[in-house]
Amino acid sequence: MKIFKSIGFIVTLLLVASVYAQQDQDAVKTYKKRVLETTEVDFLTSYYSQDGDNAAVSGGLGTEELTDFTSTFIVSIPLNDDDVLTIDAGVSAYTSASSSNVDPFDGGQPADPFVASSGASSSDTWTNLSGSYSHSSDDRNTIVSGKLSVSSEYDYFSLGFGGGLSKLYNEKNTEVSVNANVYLDTWNSIYPSELRPFASGANGLANGLFTNNTITGNTNYSPVFNEFSDETRNSYSVGFGFSQILSKNLQGTLALDFIQQQGLLSTPFQRVYFADVADSFIDNFQLADAIEQLPDSRFKVAAGGRLNWYVNETVVVRSFYRYYYDDWGISSHTASVEVPIKLSNKFTIYPSYRYYQQTAADYFYGHEEALSTDIYYTSDYDLSEYSSNQYGVGASYTDIFTKAHIWKLGLKSIDLKFYQYERDTTFSSSIITAGFNFVFD
Amino acid sequence: MIKKILIIAVIACSFGSCTVLKEYEKININDPDMVLQDKKVDRNVTTMHSYREAAAGANGGKTGGGCGCN
Repeated sequence: MKIFKSIGFIVTLLLVASVYAQQDQDAVKTYKKRVLETTEVDFLTSYYSQDGDNAAVSGGLGTEELTDFTSTFIVSIPLNDDDVLTIDAGVSAYTSASSSNVDPFDGGQPADPFVASSGASSSDTWTNLSGSYSHSSDDRNTIVSGKLSVSSEYDYFSLGFGGGLSKLYNEKNTEVSVNANVYLDTWNSIYPSELRPFASGANGLANGLFTNNTITGNTNYSPVFNEFSDETRNSYSVGFGFSQILSKNLQGTLALDFIQQQGLLSTPFQRVYFADVADSFIDNFQLADAIEQLPDSRFKVAAGGRLNWYVNETVVVRSFYRYYYDDWGISSHTASVEVPIKLSNKFTIYPSYRYYQQTAADYFYGHEEALSTDIYYTSDYDLSEYSSNQYGVGASYTDIFTKAHIWKLGLKSIDLKFYQYERDTTFSSSIITAGFNFVFD
Repeated sequence: MIKKILIIAVIACSFGSCTVLKEYEKININDPDMVLQDKKVDRNVTTMHSYREAAAGANGGKTGGGCGCN
């Protein structure tokens, strides 16, 4: 709490300073360039696929196969010399063998954690709409911004809002910023299908699932199951930034984020299997002993830095490092480097490498490792100890004269990138992503 | 931890006096590849990282909200 008081004090100081600075600046009328000359439109699209053998839905053992296709439009509109409104709308459609096994018995084939079920839980669509507004002072040394976002998928709804303040000093060689965001999320909990008959008031083993199928192994199936009473998940974050031009060819930035999450932080459809409970099966699918249980609060701190070096007219080196820790026992290091190489005025290639490693959450257990007497447990391998390597390559085409047109939109740039991500477990993924930047004539 | 971060911040702040470039001297600094944040085309990659990895924040990306549970 002490730290939040300190953060609150710093934020208040910055806001007061900003108001006074604004009053002084208003007295001086100087020529000012528009913050954004004309409306810009970005179209982003990506195709993502992953696979692995440690699905959280099936308690740490089962297919993690998933594909996702995402498209996003970002429209930035200059409202006047100082103000910019940005609208961001995105749709993401995924199919997931892993989440199809929330109900592994609806696919018309023998249930198996390594085989996708074709039922309703195998796909979903995520939609997002957000708007942000920024105002720059006449001397462009103060930028105030606010944003509002809404996103929705079948079992999850998120409402977010936030704001930020940036101040530039030393002839815009130094920038200090603060931002705060709040996300108010709500679950529509979906539970593993074999646990639903054990909800309050349901008929247990008399349910059709068990009378129409044969339970093997421990036939006296008796899971630990209580529906979650609180389905809200709130996230509060405060971030501080400091950027500095260090020389004609070098600049860097430091960022510090504090994030507090509260509410339902467990994922309701992720199964857990206990080491001290006899196993029950239908077909090849092991019936859940419980769903994951995680604390209802989590505090995260992330401190990161970037250093970009303009080596010469051909090569730039972009580097990033971040340290992270949270009160669930996870700490991590992230380091990445990207080296844009200009082949001509219009073409640049982007080779990159990223390394990531994290320790396990205190509540993580592998398949059949948790005990029924534990209070908190999860077999979500995203919370396990692992390291990963990511290799990337990309290319961009830029035409500052925007010769190519679609209707009244001139094509300014095209970016295309591919990344291959490998964990030291069985998990791997790849993503191909493209971005098109247009300016309105 | 907090002490270490404050020390780093103070050291970083001292860079403020190391150089002051005029606008016309910022040609290289203003190169699009020198921007101190991820490029827009990398947004979905950052989102993937925030869903699949425990760590989030301090990179200009999203620090909360959304499920990311599939």
